[in-house]
Amino acid sequence: MNFLAQFFGNRCRTAALVLAACIVGFAPVAAQAQPMLKTAPDWTRSLVNVEITFKAYDAFQPWNNPTLSVRKHGLVVAPGEVLTTAQYLPTHTLVRLQKGGRGRWYDARVKWWDAQSNLALLTTEEPAFWTGLEAAPLMATVPPGPEFNLVRWREGNLENRKVEFSRFVVSEGTVGFAPQMVLEVGTDIGGRLGWAEIVERDGRVAGLTTYGSSRLCGVMPASFIRRVLEAHRADRFPGLGYFDFTWQPGSNPALVAELGLAGAPRGAVVHSPGSKNGKEGKGLHAGDILLEIGGFEIDSEGDYLDPDYGHLQLENLATRTSFAGDTLPMKILRGGKEQKLDYVIPRAEFTDETVPRELFGAPPTYVVTGGLVFQPLAQPFLRGWGDEWRKNAPFRLQYYQYADPADERKSLVVLSGVLPDAINVGYQEAGMLVVDRVNGRTVATLAELVAALAEPKDGVNRFEFMKGRGLQRMLLDAADLDAATKRVVEHYGIPAASRL
Amino acid sequence: MQNNTMQIIAVGKKRRRGCGRRFEWAGWIALACLALALATPRLRAEELPAERAVVQILTSTQVPVYDAPWRFRSVQQMSGTGFVIEGGRILTNAHVIAWAKQILVRRYQDPRLLPARVVFAGHDCDLALLEVIDPKELAAVKPLEFGELPEVRSTVVTAGYPAGGDQMSFTRGVVSRIEVQPYAHPGNRALLAVQTDAAINPGNSGGPVIQDDKVVGVAFQGIPGLQNAGFFIPTEVIRHFLDDVKDGRYDGIPMAGVSICDLQNPAYRRFLGLADDGRGARVDFLRAGGTAERVLKPDDVLLEANGYVVGSDSLVLYKGNRVSVTVLFQQPQAGGKLHLKIWRDHAPLEVDLPMEAYDGDRLAGHQYDEPPRYYIYGGLVFTSLSANYLDSAGQSAADESAQLVYELHHRQVEDPASARPEPVVLAGVLPNAVNADFGIRGRALVNRINGVRIERLEDVKRALLGQKGERHLFEFWGPKHGPMEAMDRAAAEAANADILRTYGIVSAERL
Repeated sequence: MNFLAQFFGNRCRTAALVLAACIVGFAPVAAQAQPMLKTAPDWTRSLVNVEITFKAYDAFQPWNNPTLSVRKHGLVVAPGEVLTTAQYLPTHTLVRLQKGGRGRWYDARVKWWDAQSNLALLTTEEPAFWTGLEAAPLMATVPPGPEFNLVRWREGNLENRKVEFSRFVVSEGTVGFAPQMVLEVGTDIGGRLGWAEIVERDGRVAGLTTYGSSRLCGVMPASFIRRVLEAHRADRFPGLGYFDFTWQPGSNPALVAELGLAGAPRGAVVHSPGSKNGKEGKGLHAGDILLEIGGFEIDSEGDYLDPDYGHLQLENLATRTSFAGDTLPMKILRGGKEQKLDYVIPRAEFTDETVPRELFGAPPTYVVTGGLVFQPLAQPFLRGWGDEWRKNAPFRLQYYQYADPADERKSLVVLSGVLPDAINVGYQEAGMLVVDRVNGRTVATLAELVAALAEPKDGVNRFEFMKGRGLQRMLLDAADLDAATKRVVEHYGIPAASRL
Repeated sequence: MQNNTMQIIAVGKKRRRGCGRRFEWAGWIALACLALALATPRLRAEELPAERAVVQILTSTQVPVYDAPWRFRSVQQMSGTGFVIEGGRILTNAHVIAWAKQILVRRYQDPRLLPARVVFAGHDCDLALLEVIDPKELAAVKPLEFGELPEVRSTVVTAGYPAGGDQMSFTRGVVSRIEVQPYAHPGNRALLAVQTDAAINPGNSGGPVIQDDKVVGVAFQGIPGLQNAGFFIPTEVIRHFLDDVKDGRYDGIPMAGVSICDLQNPAYRRFLGLADDGRGARVDFLRAGGTAERVLKPDDVLLEANGYVVGSDSLVLYKGNRVSVTVLFQQPQAGGKLHLKIWRDHAPLEVDLPMEAYDGDRLAGHQYDEPPRYYIYGGLVFTSLSANYLDSAGQSAADESAQLVYELHHRQVEDPASARPEPVVLAGVLPNAVNADFGIRGRALVNRINGVRIERLEDVKRALLGQKGERHLFEFWGPKHGPMEAMDRAAAEAANADILRTYGIVSAERL
């Protein structure tokens, strides 16, 4: 694993870093004004190493939970609080903190994490860790360049390298899909970045890196971090939202004219209105032109002019100052007439997708019955085909990602493989089949599968798979099923026949 | 996960441009001897009787550009092998003559190149029948006769003009195995094939595989990376092709539209009331609209097909080889019937399954010889969604557009009611002021134009020419949603001729 190589490199060097740290009080999160600090910041006092051991997902043997470790950075942001990105934390088994880039590791605890914002707060109960550390000031607004510094621990020493401002862009989060504005910086630092290194200027933190290559690095801006943290601390963070409608630029004069807009092109054209606000036709319609969102005019590229960050894609308005559940006023053009509309921002939740991008909050679930291995069809399963899973995973399984969650089936269950046993002779090569019904009952979840298995008919359990090029049906002997499952579990060393 | 998919290639040979070393000094010696050779037609003692019937086929091919469907790629020189059969015609592989603009035949030890033409091409079985323009040229050639399916472990000899030299080459090998194999040329057909360790190389394609002075197959494909494994088309398939064309038309290998699977699971067998005797394969799926749907039902069990006992592994013992029962489904001609003994509702039943050729999946397979259909309007280039189009547009097109792949390969099977007979794709846009603001620039599936659902290319033309309003509205199709675009009608109509002129396009349509 590349990330292991990065962090377990030459860390046994004996040269010691002499810290001239003194104990200071923790500063509050940065004030609104951003005066230049009079003295050069000592990032050794606030930037720490974070080691996360987490359960990885074995797509083809979900009962296996191999553990992996990564190291990234954390930033002291308040007394007893280390901020880092949420990546790898949802399935952690051990988290440790290290200050000064070397020396002792302190056992830590995850206070809070949120996948959509990709933020987490850590703490440790060991007072010695906090000695000599102080909170780093976060920028209230991140200025557009021209230069920043990227600061990280590297082999026990603090590295501080210049990076160049590239642009502000809006994209889906690194873990979740809620939109976020990202500060992109150009860099000639070799190796892979994105391990929550800090990007700073004039002694203030501009953000944490969330992705990066040897040339370009994405930085989660401090302004966004502050807003989420403040809401979280005030117990007012309902999660991030997103726009569930899809749109296209309204830059084709013929198209916007056809949709009733007079004059020069402006606004973005809705082509799929989404379902969260569309009950009884009250929400957006296909063909609506979005003219204003939250008081910001939308131009024909689908951008708005952000007072702090310039032209940004309209998606950013879902998270710019709002959270899930907030209402955004919209001005739209429908049938040639301007209308006002209140859009309630839906919460970004993985379970809203037929094939969820992540399945956090629980160890991977599965059911082994008569040697047939069933799992939820989710992106972590598809990622079992490796880094190039989009090329290598079965196309048809991937295509379910585009399916809208139907009312009767909001998720899917896949037969991922067969553990050969006498009961399943003849099916040993089956796999990658999406379940339609079991014993005549529609199956969308493993729980439904288990419930359906309790009702065999005519002495057999009948498995029906989605219509397609694969096998359509299987029958398993019902009387022998429990015994066979027990045999399979023992024979293949599976800790339990199911984990729901 | 291991990817077990093998890449199978047809083994036509790409020729070098020019004459190459034919005109080196050694070549002159050969030419000097030629007159003598022609004057002494007797076979040399060591010659096979078949030698004189084997010909080299030289083609100049030109393949269309599917994402710019009015254009063709540059001409390529290809070569393969063929052999004279009864009636003075030449049998070869369809892939040897696919897209050929010119076909020349070179006889054994004859310096002349004889122009030839395709009489029938069966691209689904990779066989073609040629005739030389002057039939007298082959009148004196003794045609090769066909034998039967050779036995595994028996010896065969191939004859042909493979890469590595200009003269006829012979290789000897044993029949390794006989089973149903995917045919690379159509891309979506699997038929009976024979594997041999006799070397079959590029250029061997179309050449005879001989046993006891009779043709037992036509060499046709290999698998890169697999050593000593070449494949030839057995006489079962060859005779089917030759019988098919006797009425002056090639119908193709029939496909009844039935998916058959193993029936080895004891519980499933008990459920269907079958003994554990290794007999019977289960009908798992029936294609909507196929002939099998009229006669068979899911969970019918095939006990016998045309008198052959069907095993629970879906195989039959066919002339000493266990091969897929589908071989028997491919033996009747279109319009014929296959007699089946089946097991339904715990009782035996005999039925006759009508057979018909199926081309409903032609767009999903490789197409040949017919240039792509297209329609150009306002610089928008519309063409049929096909495997050829996706190949032409490159892997990135398939990667970018899951919708194209789904529509081409899955919708017809999964949801035939919503499938379109000829999905239409916007292949590209020829830049012009009239389409400069058109946001979709290609690789997009067309859903509706001016409210007309696009089922085939003719609908595009009808929807555009029938529009009376100020603008055309185009709705595209994505997995979840489809973007839309519009174009000024009067401006488009005014620009059409100029766009064609600018881009050197002779015709706005090929429908």
